[in-house]
Amino acid sequence: MIGYLDLLLRLTIWFLLTADLSPANIMIGVSVALLLPRRFTRTPALLKDWLRVLWNIIIAIPQAYFEAIEIMLRPHTEEDTTLEQVQPNRTPGLIFLDIFVITFTPKTIVLRYRDDAYKVHRIRRRKPS
Amino acid sequence: MNGVLIIMILILLIPLYAAWKDDDIWQTMLAFASVATKTSIMILVISVLRDDWMIGVVGVLILSVGNASLMLLAHILKRLNE
Amino acid sequence: MITILGYTLIGIGIVFWLWGTWPMLGKRSVLFKLHSLSVADTLGSMSIIMGLLLKIPREWPLLLLALISLAIWNTVLGYVLAYCSTGGRYD
Repeated sequence: MIGYLDLLLRLTIWFLLTADLSPANIMIGVSVALLLPRRFTRTPALLKDWLRVLWNIIIAIPQAYFEAIEIMLRPHTEEDTTLEQVQPNRTPGLIFLDIFVITFTPKTIVLRYRDDAYKVHRIRRRKPS
Repeated sequence: MNGVLIIMILILLIPLYAAWKDDDIWQTMLAFASVATKTSIMILVISVLRDDWMIGVVGVLILSVGNASLMLLAHILKRLNE
Repeated sequence: MITILGYTLIGIGIVFWLWGTWPMLGKRSVLFKLHSLSVADTLGSMSIIMGLLLKIPREWPLLLLALISLAIWNTVLGYVLAYCSTGGRYD
């Protein structure tokens, strides 16, 4: 099970960087993407999980702007930390993307990651009662 | 576009002042992280303003290399504090 | 029309920059400033780059790369700074 998503990511970066779709450039890109060292994990990430996380990222962008406008209009002055559960059987790549989505939205930042939970710092409008 | 650039430079003064004023190392790191992002965006704006895409390529390169040095520095400071 | 939209996006980005950078002068915790800096430096800058993208669509591959790497690096830097500035223990 090779990480074909991994390969796809490298090719995307290559084509964006070079902006050239000639056959020679495609060949160079594919060979570089294959030659770079890869990590083989025992439990391959499910495509379903990846699709769900990618969908979460697409949702996160308008949500981030919405939260930004919200904290601009109504000042959020209180801060606290909470624990959020990690879904089981996450590969390192999926955990990275989870942390990315949580930290990308302005109200929440991941502080710590443990095996079972993320420690999340968030700002809110009034003190939690 | 010139006005946009002038406003950007004025905003850039805020983190510079914060970096100079604060004694706490983490506040200073925060200010420099902000300066790094803002200057690379300004490079992109200047490249559009002068219609010189060679400058823009430099800005994109800076953005894609990112703030790796600041992350390393943060880890070193954390080790020092332990 | 496209030009106006581009300038509007750049304007929104500048407003985000100003609003998010202003709290740096105050006396709040590092984490609180990180929240407002993520508004300024990630979302504001993304909006500015989107505006530039509408002004020069010719250079879309590089600007798209700039957009993606800006989002990823800034978010990761926020996480690293939050992680490192809060000590080493789970408390």
